[in-house]
Amino acid sequence: MIRKEAIRLISKKIAGDVIVSANGYISRDLFEVNDKPTNFYMIGSMGLASSIGLGLALQNPKKMIYVFDGDGNILMNLGSLTTISKLKPKNFIHIIFDNSSHESTGGQPTSTNKISIDAIAKAVNFKVFRCNSKNNLDETFKKIRNIAGPIIILMKISKSEKISGRVLLPPKKIKSRFMKSF
Amino acid sequence: MKKLTQRQIFDYLFNNGIENFVGVPDSTMKYFIDQGLKRKKILITTREEEAIGIASGFALSKSNSLVFMQNAGFANSISTITSLVQLYEIPLVFFIGWRGYLKKDAPEHMKIGKIQPNLLKILDLPSKIITDKNWKVSCNWALKKLANHESSALIIRRLFCD
Repeated sequence: MIRKEAIRLISKKIAGDVIVSANGYISRDLFEVNDKPTNFYMIGSMGLASSIGLGLALQNPKKMIYVFDGDGNILMNLGSLTTISKLKPKNFIHIIFDNSSHESTGGQPTSTNKISIDAIAKAVNFKVFRCNSKNNLDETFKKIRNIAGPIIILMKISKSEKISGRVLLPPKKIKSRFMKSF
Repeated sequence: MKKLTQRQIFDYLFNNGIENFVGVPDSTMKYFIDQGLKRKKILITTREEEAIGIASGFALSKSNSLVFMQNAGFANSISTITSLVQLYEIPLVFFIGWRGYLKKDAPEHMKIGKIQPNLLKILDLPSKIITDKNWKVSCNWALKKLANHESSALIIRRLFCD
C-alpha cells in the first residue's frame, strides 16, 4: 500500500480527533485526502511531530491525539520515545509510516530495513502493532479501542509514484484554525 | 546568580501564569530547576528541540510554557526556532544559560558564548539578560510578551568557572 492510501484509510477512522502530521509528503498527503481544522500540518522542524503530539496529549487528556510520522522523522527524534514512555499518555497514538526511505527528499535509504523500530518501541514500553494491509489496519483499530496508550502502529508502506501538492494554507492559518478546533 | 534569586524567579513565573517548564538541565540555572523539581513542575527532555516541540504542543493548547537550556542547546535549537516557533508564531519563553560569557570558561563554551548575542539578534528573538537586580522587571517583560503572543528569551550569565 502507498502512503497516501494508508493515510486516507486511517484518517477516515479517526474522524474528529487531533492529528499532528510530520513535514514532507505525510502532511501533503493528509492535506489532499482529508483536510480538517483538527489537523496540525508541520511544514518544517523535521522530527518533532511526536513531541508536539506529546504536549497536546498531556494538556488534553480527554482528547485522542494521533501523530502521523515517518521513519526518517522518528529516527531524528528517537529520544522522544523515552520521554513519551516516561509520561505514559493514555491518549497518544503514534502511527509511523515506514517505507525505509526519505521519500520527500528523493528516496534516499533510512536504516529501518536493517533495524527493528518495533523492538525499540517495545523496549521503551509502547504497545506496538505492525500493519501492512487494509485488513490488519482494520483489526488493529478494533483492538486499540480498548487499549490505553501510548501506542505505536508501524505501518509498512511502499514508495509512491505520484506526489501530493504542498499544503496550501499559510502556517499562521494552520495554527489559528487548529487552536479553535478543539 | 544567587541561589535565592533563581528560586524566586521560578516561583514568580509559576505564580504568574507559566504552567509548563520543559528543557534540558544547565548547571548555571540549577537552583531554578531545583525549585521547579520540588514543585513537580519540570519536564526534562533528551534534547532542546524536543523540549521546544513539547512546549509548542502545550502552547497550541493555550497553556503558557517556558523552555530552559544551556546556550549549547540554544545552538541546537535554531532550526526549530525558525521553522516551528517563528513560522507558526507560537509564543514561548526561552530561559538560556550563557556559558562562555566570561573570558575564562571551559573551552567548549567559548565560541558559542561569543556569538550568542549576535545569534539572538539575527534570529530576531528579543532577549534580556536577567540578573539578581532586575529579575522581576525581566520576568514581567517576558510575561507581557507572552500575553501579546510573542516569544522572548531571558539570558542567565555564567559568572564563575569551576
